[in-house]
Amino acid sequence: MPHDLNYYLATLAVYFLIYCVLTLGLNITFGMAGIFDFSYITFMAIGAYFAGVAVLPPSNVPGLQWILGLNLGFPIDLLIGALAAGVFGLLIGLVAIRRIRSDYLAMVLVAVWTITWSVTSTTIGLFNGQQGLIGVPQPFEAQLGVNPNDYVFVFIPIAAAALAILFAIAYCVERSPFGRALRATREDQDVAAAFGKRTVRLRLTAMVIGCVYAGVAGALTIEFLSAMSPNAWAIIETVIIFSALIVGGRGNVFGAVLGALLVRILIIEGTGLLPTLPDHPELIGATRNILIGLLVIVVLYFRPQGVIPERRRRYFESRKPAADPSSEVTKGG
Amino acid sequence: MELFFNSIGFGLVTASILALAAVGLTLQFGMTNYVNFAYGDFMTLGAYLTWTLNVRLGWPFWPALLVGALLMAIPVLLISRFVLEPFAKRSGPTFHILIVTFAVSLILSNLILAIWGGDFQNFNVGEDAPVNIGPFLLSIQQLGIIGLAAVCMVAIHLLLTRTKLGKAMRAISDDKNLAAVTGIPTQRVTTIVWVLSGMLAGLAGGVLALNVSSFDPNVGVTFLFVIFAAVVFGGIGRPYGAMVGALVIGLVVEVSAVFIPSAYKLDVAFLVLVGVLLVRPDGIMSLLARG
Repeated sequence: MPHDLNYYLATLAVYFLIYCVLTLGLNITFGMAGIFDFSYITFMAIGAYFAGVAVLPPSNVPGLQWILGLNLGFPIDLLIGALAAGVFGLLIGLVAIRRIRSDYLAMVLVAVWTITWSVTSTTIGLFNGQQGLIGVPQPFEAQLGVNPNDYVFVFIPIAAAALAILFAIAYCVERSPFGRALRATREDQDVAAAFGKRTVRLRLTAMVIGCVYAGVAGALTIEFLSAMSPNAWAIIETVIIFSALIVGGRGNVFGAVLGALLVRILIIEGTGLLPTLPDHPELIGATRNILIGLLVIVVLYFRPQGVIPERRRRYFESRKPAADPSSEVTKGG
Repeated sequence: MELFFNSIGFGLVTASILALAAVGLTLQFGMTNYVNFAYGDFMTLGAYLTWTLNVRLGWPFWPALLVGALLMAIPVLLISRFVLEPFAKRSGPTFHILIVTFAVSLILSNLILAIWGGDFQNFNVGEDAPVNIGPFLLSIQQLGIIGLAAVCMVAIHLLLTRTKLGKAMRAISDDKNLAAVTGIPTQRVTTIVWVLSGMLAGLAGGVLALNVSSFDPNVGVTFLFVIFAAVVFGGIGRPYGAMVGALVIGLVVEVSAVFIPSAYKLDVAFLVLVGVLLVRPDGIMSLLARG
């Protein structure tokens, strides 16, 4: 195979691995706990920025300013990014996750995105404002001394290892008593509380876990691309991750992975192959997003459970063989 | 002191924009009981329709704004009838509708991007000299915005109190099923309110874009949470609450700019939003309603 194609496919593989981390995290927050985390992409950005300033040296050039600058290496920066996203998620969750209507929660979280985005864009001293962080050293870049064109092959195992760990955790969470409790709060908070579940704490935990996943995805993104700016985390990115999870099938890890494959690789890369019109460079991106929006509406209408549905769990099968098959998720969080 | 009065004047302008937007959002919520997260893009669409009439066809701004708002009826009618209502009517999962409004936002914002491009645009309004009105220093355009909002608020008050449609709207907002049993055509009223909500979004988007002077396809979305703050302050679904909320948030936001860098002034609305949700999620107006 020609080197170009290899390179392209390898880059695609990295994007896919990182996107799986994003959908797996949202699967815990939204798929299992039913929390409308409409600021999900914010936590990806927090993870990316904090991982970036953990690796970068202190800023001393005018026009390039950021906080910290710890000069640390991989994988400490990734952990810092994940931790920062988790802490930020905890703070937001403590305020937002209360016994209020789910659309109020969603409104607060949209506001969280807007505020974080505008503060990050306008405050130069934080993460270099609108321009964002650039020139972030890649993991093992200096030690290995590989050709920049071959670096992607170094990064695939890194991203794959991170995904393997996070996939295993997500798989265990789904089958654990904790996962069961999350699904119970998603279906009906009052009933779950009546059975002695501490619903607010459960939902808060689910939100923080999701944020940590997003933080890891962000850290991997900035480590791979060496850059992160506010343009990369517009609010529509959150909608696209939701779309991936809904299309793939929320509430189960395989649906989350399939969603990443269908939306991130098939649609986003597929539309990238369309011919560009020289006068309208934004047309491809717009077409792609319109397609994603239409897809999520069609899927929610005709197959709301997604391509791979969540397995309906039945606990009293011997006594009640004909459990209501039509009962679906009725209450959002 | 002059700075303070000026900021109050700007506060009235922001409050006017907010009032148009917040009443449109909250009226629709009262009928359908879900938040429309595509509302910011409705506003952006209104701004671009106005811009097309104003700049491309050379109309004066204010007629362009009114016709642009009227044109909003078409897309909003299509979206509510063929996309949102089919989901709302289902007895099954109710939360899908929030995701669907978000997907509509994704589609609309990208249609706008595809049609009008991502560049910053300006309205063609000519020179605009500031005038002194009492202690306030405002431009003619800003006075126009305040006047438009005042007229619309009075019209909505008359609609709600003096007409059969308004009574039906209030009845549905209180209890949709009860309204339906008493013979109110809830479906038709809901559709009319969707159109009204879209037109108010169009007006709000147009004057918002006029007030920020140059705008891009993100103009509505980045303002959306300020509208949420105003709506939640007054209690979601209550039109008069939204008017009060708009006034309070508008003044708070602009007066805060006296004390903090103006780049962060809108963020103050976020603090109000969170504060209200912590203290009284039903909105501050619910205190009055009980008393």
